[in-house]
Amino acid sequence: MANLKEVRNRIVSVTSTQQITSAMKMVSAAKLRRAQDAIVQMRPYAEKLRDILGNLSGSVDASEGGAYSVQREPKKVLIVAITSNRGLAGAFNTNVLKIVRQLTTEKYANQFNSGNVSFITVGKKATDYITKNKLNLLSSHNELFDKLTFSLATPVVQRIMDGFVNKEFDRVELVYNQFKNAAVQIPTEEQFLPVLPNELPKNAKKAVSTDYIFEPNQATIVTELIPKSLKVQFYKALLDSHAAEHGARMTAMNKATDNAKDLIKELKLSYNKARQAAITNEILEIVGGAEALNG
Amino acid sequence: MHLEIITPDKKLFEDEVQYISLPGIDGGFGILDKHAPLISALKKGTVQVTDKLSAKHNFEINGGVVEVLNNKVVVLAE
Repeated sequence: MANLKEVRNRIVSVTSTQQITSAMKMVSAAKLRRAQDAIVQMRPYAEKLRDILGNLSGSVDASEGGAYSVQREPKKVLIVAITSNRGLAGAFNTNVLKIVRQLTTEKYANQFNSGNVSFITVGKKATDYITKNKLNLLSSHNELFDKLTFSLATPVVQRIMDGFVNKEFDRVELVYNQFKNAAVQIPTEEQFLPVLPNELPKNAKKAVSTDYIFEPNQATIVTELIPKSLKVQFYKALLDSHAAEHGARMTAMNKATDNAKDLIKELKLSYNKARQAAITNEILEIVGGAEALNG
Repeated sequence: MHLEIITPDKKLFEDEVQYISLPGIDGGFGILDKHAPLISALKKGTVQVTDKLSAKHNFEINGGVVEVLNNKVVVLAE
């Protein structure tokens, strides 16, 4: 039977751990709400942009993506990995890094072995992984998550888009956690550039085509809008990852709190057992002593 | 007419207005009530809005696009 004092100390330490995890859970829940709000805030913009593009794309043919839809042999690949800055979020970061590893060992193994895969990271965990493995890190943007706004995210995505246009890379992959709901994150890998042809909505919107006046003309507007929609796509990935991070942490902390509760229950049981055993022992000793005196 | 100015971060403005002046990519232009359907690219500049009380509001934008349809104006700003 464990030493009484030892068990008591463990109970104290597990209890304080439980307090920390449950506090972290609540913090994450609050941050999750804010992150979700940001997604909701962005939705009208994204939808309107898609509407307008839909209105246009029917009338402007294959040239729609311009410089961003040029398909080249993927010799040089850029992988953009989005993780969180902090850990304790379950498998959240591991999942992203697993996909990154898969990309470098399977899909882009040849490019990787000839040193033509470079990385841009957002979030400390991905940065650590890339630097630890001494891979080709172009830049890292861990500070983005401190205050996530569109104007702060724009330079990063602009850099990626410029790199693609200047043939610095032939393909850009985005790896991040998609936010489904508070408990579910979907680790995703999506091709960011070149723009996939079916990515742009060519839907039936054309049928209701209004007789718009286009200023200055349709082609110019499309070339203005494609980079915008790319920026929105990138920003959405950031927002998704941000919300997913807090969702993941909330779930992880919830589980940790539950585990601590179970552990405390077990420890209390063994503490009480030990205490009772000690009392029984004491009584036995007293009775034994009394018997000896009487006898 | 109804005006909405939306950025990816938030909605900047939404109300009934009298007049909107916009920095078009080929020069500034204005939109009055019952304008014909229009889609135009915008450049960096100031959107000036005259609301129904004739008060003026200024919004700095970094480029964007405007859509006018059915007396509803949507400015997607950056």
